[in-house]
Amino acid sequence: MSNGGIWKTFAEYDRRYVYLALFIVVIGPLLSPIGVPISVSPSTRQYYEVINAVGEGDIVFFTLNTEFSGYNEIQSGIIASMRVFIENGAKIVIAVGHPEATSIPSMIFQDLNKELTENEYVYGEDYISLGYIFPNEAAVAALAEDFQGTVSQDWLGVPTAGTFLDEVKTWKDIDFISDYTTGLATTHVMNHFALRGTPMAVNCIGVMIPSSMNYLDTGVYLALLNSMRGGAELEYLTGHPASGLTAMDAFTFGHYMLIGFIVIGNLGYLMYTRKQTYGRGRKKQ
Amino acid sequence: MSEIIKTKEFQLSIMLISFLIVFIPYFLDIPALDAVSTKLITIAALVNVFTIALAVSSLVKRNMNFIQRKTRGWYFKAYMLITIVLMLVFSMFGLETGPYHWVMFAVVNPLSSVNYGILAFYMASTSARAFKARNTKAALLLITGVIVLLYQAPLTGTVFPGIEPVALYLTDTFGKAAGKMFLISITVGALVFGVRVLLGNEPSVLGIGGKE
Repeated sequence: MSNGGIWKTFAEYDRRYVYLALFIVVIGPLLSPIGVPISVSPSTRQYYEVINAVGEGDIVFFTLNTEFSGYNEIQSGIIASMRVFIENGAKIVIAVGHPEATSIPSMIFQDLNKELTENEYVYGEDYISLGYIFPNEAAVAALAEDFQGTVSQDWLGVPTAGTFLDEVKTWKDIDFISDYTTGLATTHVMNHFALRGTPMAVNCIGVMIPSSMNYLDTGVYLALLNSMRGGAELEYLTGHPASGLTAMDAFTFGHYMLIGFIVIGNLGYLMYTRKQTYGRGRKKQ
Repeated sequence: MSEIIKTKEFQLSIMLISFLIVFIPYFLDIPALDAVSTKLITIAALVNVFTIALAVSSLVKRNMNFIQRKTRGWYFKAYMLITIVLMLVFSMFGLETGPYHWVMFAVVNPLSSVNYGILAFYMASTSARAFKARNTKAALLLITGVIVLLYQAPLTGTVFPGIEPVALYLTDTFGKAAGKMFLISITVGALVFGVRVLLGNEPSVLGIGGKE
């Protein structure tokens, strides 16, 4: 204990205590899930209603504007949303905004293999992966103006001619954009598609929520799914519990732990400063 | 001729014409101009892709120089160049299977995830220690932050449903107001910068800064 007593220790605790506590509250529930109940926020309900309105044959532009690192945070929302689109019979075009994300589509399809089989989805006829086609804003703008002139093959180099992409000439032929983002090309997609009138919904990482909410207000985004928590709520709403709901135990306890440390720090700060002021006052007398 | 091309006026004129070709079709429906605009955007996208090759070329030149001179940490630069070449070679054997696929799944993805995961510890530690009620304003921020944090924990909403309207009020009013302020500031700044570029007040954009 430091010289200032217990209150000073509370006010200036070592950061390693936070690391240790966070490690314990995260690893514990992941190894042995508790299944804490969760509440579903209004924004997630709105998001579910919007993506569930996508109908059979609608062309969905499924854009993964994330690195692999960010994918871990929004994975639950991505899988749950893709499941909804598959069950609704939409035609899905996947594009990614980062070289790291090129491996993500195959992981999504691996996770949803059962749904793809049950709904008789065939690659090329019902879904297609274009790979990394958003290196910059000019590429997104070109795609919106002249889809065929910009993209002519999928991520493995197979020509897209003869697939349902033949119907897509400009931004007008995309029925819905479902974007999953850590930033990257989302603003460009919004500028060249959503602002012209293509319906767009977004699932973003936690730090992007405050700035993204403004686009929801203005109607540019039809709905916003908030980070991993939104993904978990969507899993709950769609009745397919998976990684998102599993992570909610650690998510809950992590938040409570943080609040606990804030309270301890402030209590220590308050008592220690009061003690110092009181001590000085007594010395003066 | 080459002297004319190098002049600031000529380069600015090209930029202004390109800008107008792309800008006007957003507001006026002129099919011929729209077609030219579309073609120009596609050309710009392709040229942009070639800048990646240019970037790799510069990277190799620069780092080879460091390696030859054996500057501090030269082996990291050598390692980087080796991985660039290896990934390029691996990608030629296919993307879905083979060495490229293995490197992505066994090396890049786990490292990327770990990098991201570590941030949680720093963010938790920093926010826990920085959130101190040192004065009235900080106390208000602290109370607001704790309410929103409590609401963000999924369990809280089921135990205390009353927290939802309070947290939503805070994010929908103060949170959004601050967010809008930043977005509007950035947008206005970008507009001003664009106008300054078109007026020739930002010659550095054309790479001719300091030569005037």
